[in-house]
Amino acid sequence: MRLSPASRIALILLCSIPLAWASNRMASPQRRLAWSAKGASIAAVRPSPAAEGKQSAAPAAPWTEISGEGAVQLFEAKAIFFDARRTAAYREGHIRGARSLPAWEDIDEKLKALVAEGLDPSAPVVVYCSGGDCEDSHLLGQKLYLSGFDTVRVYRDGFPDWEKRRLPVSRGPNP
Amino acid sequence: MTPSSSRWRRLGAVAARILLGGLFLYAGGSKIVDPPGFAHELSNYRLLPDMAVAPIALALPWLEVLCGGLLVVGVWRRESALILAGLLVVFVGALSIDLARGIPVDCGCFGGAKPARSPAERFADMRLAIGRDVLLLILAAPVLFRANRPEEPTRPESRENDST
Repeated sequence: MRLSPASRIALILLCSIPLAWASNRMASPQRRLAWSAKGASIAAVRPSPAAEGKQSAAPAAPWTEISGEGAVQLFEAKAIFFDARRTAAYREGHIRGARSLPAWEDIDEKLKALVAEGLDPSAPVVVYCSGGDCEDSHLLGQKLYLSGFDTVRVYRDGFPDWEKRRLPVSRGPNP
Repeated sequence: MTPSSSRWRRLGAVAARILLGGLFLYAGGSKIVDPPGFAHELSNYRLLPDMAVAPIALALPWLEVLCGGLLVVGVWRRESALILAGLLVVFVGALSIDLARGIPVDCGCFGGAKPARSPAERFADMRLAIGRDVLLLILAAPVLFRANRPEEPTRPESRENDST
């Protein structure tokens, strides 16, 4: 059977999709990308605070940024910290007690387990990545907000700032 | 045209095809092993709508591997070269737009996860990547234009399996 050039091109293009799907399915969670990694918009999954019409505890944005001092205060107040960087970076060093939730990896299961823990949704949680132009913490902040956390704080300067302040750091896969 | 010069041309075209194909096999493969890393790089370009980032980060490397592999084995050469040339034009466009907008990005061409670098280093690498992509486009030209030249000698052993 002879295929026209256009149908050959179409066939090659089409083949890449099931291959991508299959290889991503077989990948380990650390190497797996959620097809909607950046797709979920707040409005679609959870109405924005203003639209919810709640004046009380509803936050004005999915997250608010905090400085190093703010992070230290929350650390001392035993707030939960989430590390949004890749698993490999987390293992090399992270804020002591911080849990790993890599924003770009497939963390749907981890988020579900987190929600199942039944933590207080109004208690502040802190997310961070590697500071500077790193936006992984904002991405994770949005995911946490969508999962029901009302008080997400983004530690703007992130792990490099924490290290510079010589604050407690842990290594390895555990918090 | 003397027979020997046409043989050299053919050899050159085969070498260009295998080089281009091999490079894309490598580039695609290095991205397939770490989709989250590539998605991150892709998102940093700030050119795609959020919804498109993950699907493209997953499918584009496989497209590169498919076309690269087909080019190396010499099946559907022109179609594969055409797709890769299209991709190269898109890559040059994306890098140029971010260079013009002053957004420093890691190319992501050969997978993500680079050590943190300064904006100046990134801009330099972006210019380098544009130059490399233009060279690759030139490399694709003989594959693209050679097959539809009726004046080339078509001895049985020189005919590559274009009818597969």
